[in-house]
Amino acid sequence: MEPLLEGFRLVMATDVLIAIFASAVYGLVVGSLPGLSATMATALLVPVTFWLSPIAAIATIITASAMAIFSGDIPGALLRIPGTPASAAYTDEAYAMTRKGQAELALGAGLWFSAIGGIVGTISLMLLAPALAEVALSFSTYEYFWLALLGLMCATLVARSSPIKAIASMLLGLLIACIGMENPAGTPRFTFGIPDLLGGIEPIPALVGVFAVSEVMRAMASAEPPKLPKRKFGSILANQWGLTKKYQWPMWRGNFVGIIIGVLPGAGADMAAWVSYAMSKKFSKEPEKFGTGHPEGLVEAGASNNASLASGWVPSLLFGIPGDTITAIAIGVLYMKGLNPGPTLFTERASSMYALYIIFILANLIMIPLGIIMIRLASTVLRAPRSAVMPVILLLCAVGSFATGNNLFAVLLVGVFGILGFVMEKNGYPVAALVLGIVMGSMLEQNFVTSLIKSDGDVLPFFERPVSSFLAALSISALLWPLAAWIWMRVSRSRRRVAG
Amino acid sequence: MLVTDRITGGGLMALGAAAAWFGSRLPAVPGQDVGPAAFPMVIGFGLMGCGALIALGIGQSFEPPEEAEEGPKPRLGASGVLIPPALLLFYALASEPLGFLLTAAIMVLVAGLALGSRLAIAIPVAVVAPLLVHLAFYKLLRVPLPEGLIPAPW
Repeated sequence: MEPLLEGFRLVMATDVLIAIFASAVYGLVVGSLPGLSATMATALLVPVTFWLSPIAAIATIITASAMAIFSGDIPGALLRIPGTPASAAYTDEAYAMTRKGQAELALGAGLWFSAIGGIVGTISLMLLAPALAEVALSFSTYEYFWLALLGLMCATLVARSSPIKAIASMLLGLLIACIGMENPAGTPRFTFGIPDLLGGIEPIPALVGVFAVSEVMRAMASAEPPKLPKRKFGSILANQWGLTKKYQWPMWRGNFVGIIIGVLPGAGADMAAWVSYAMSKKFSKEPEKFGTGHPEGLVEAGASNNASLASGWVPSLLFGIPGDTITAIAIGVLYMKGLNPGPTLFTERASSMYALYIIFILANLIMIPLGIIMIRLASTVLRAPRSAVMPVILLLCAVGSFATGNNLFAVLLVGVFGILGFVMEKNGYPVAALVLGIVMGSMLEQNFVTSLIKSDGDVLPFFERPVSSFLAALSISALLWPLAAWIWMRVSRSRRRVAG
Repeated sequence: MLVTDRITGGGLMALGAAAAWFGSRLPAVPGQDVGPAAFPMVIGFGLMGCGALIALGIGQSFEPPEEAEEGPKPRLGASGVLIPPALLLFYALASEPLGFLLTAAIMVLVAGLALGSRLAIAIPVAVVAPLLVHLAFYKLLRVPLPEGLIPAPW
């Protein structure tokens, strides 16, 4: 009881409440602007968190990401342009509802079921994380090595591109993480005599570069999206209770799927929304209505992406392995603020954990009133010209990355990562895998080298412990799966050719 | 910048080979079998393998088909994509001598115009945005931003 009360006291501090409110407004605005993803919103916030207390810093990340995932639905429903990739799965459906004159119902469903999904996801985090922490306490470096590798492999498996390209992106990220002296031997590696590289490449310039600068570069190469006509909205939540009762089962299924996908390291809100929308159509009694402006898929996928956001914190808090790119950023902030992820966080910093749960609940509760205001203001915010927004984003990239270490080299790094992210995306290499590689590189190497030193260079102990061997089997299957799938496709294609 | 899988795969193979070679030359830790070389070498060999598979076109069938871009073309064409990194380079080089406000104003103005903004919008944004960002970072977050030729009014 004592840690819970302490958690409440931590959250009710004035600076934390201001941080929650300000980041909620920021998340809603950034998420609703097409092209600016929730990850980008969070990445741009990191430099600001340097100057905040640990709880306020984590509160800004949680609140901004939850709000941005919801508000990505707004341009999706009104312009058929998803604000964030997590809304892309049901954008066509929401837009079809708008064209049928049901914009309020579509936007309200996005808001209402996002808030429910977020709260259910938080409850899963509250129940799952402490239970798993007990198990995690018995893990050695061997298990941590396989777990980190499995996290990276999951990220590559769920990427919507060639798995081989995703693995290559992940390896590139790991290679970038090798730069500097931050290795188990403390030897300068790949620094090419540049003193600025001795400290290694921080994840923040890399994140800001690949997610924000590359987006500004894409904007330079594409035409401005259409403007939203001015309109007044009716009641946003009027029919949501009816939808909740009617689509109760899809809603719970969306929550459940979102939680499972969130807990898997590497798979995030985007994947949760796509899977849930597909499941909704598959199990619906009226699948023929999908795509014509039917709210069922919206209910399920809208709940799913927000549920995955909260449960994505489970592997992050327990093992320091990001559930998605947003929690990859959050891990950096946790380390920076002395809240080092790991199972001991639940025993030694219990009040901070309770504070985190309370922030999640609070963020999802204030999402409803602020979300309604945002929807009402949408026709004004969405009319902001991209040519005015993008230059400010670019300026924030420069100042934000400079602020990470008061160092202009970071600004150059942001530019380099922007180019890298742009070229990679254009050629089908997923940038999320690159970022996860950079974030998890030192953890993976640390556990790999420590395990090898412990075993005198013998690889057998990597497979000897029961949990370790189970995780090894999963990781190796994930690694070999793309090759097996390719061989299977080739064989079945040649069989068809012979039969034909 | 769309290049063929043969080129990106070849590039990854070369990068992997370089990583493995440079990694192998790293000094060993006395008394230990595993040194700083182990991890870069594993990654290097992994990259060489992936690069080879990509160059051979393996795994291409998993990729979604390329979507044709619709709508009007941007006014600067494909070369416009280099403007944001060029402006970041400009910021890194010019912010110390020119100061934050002037550098940021030039940066925002050029980016705005490149994105097709009218001067009537681009100029006010270039004046107001640097002042607001300066206020937020310098006053609220205490980030030391260079004064240069035009110091901030606060």
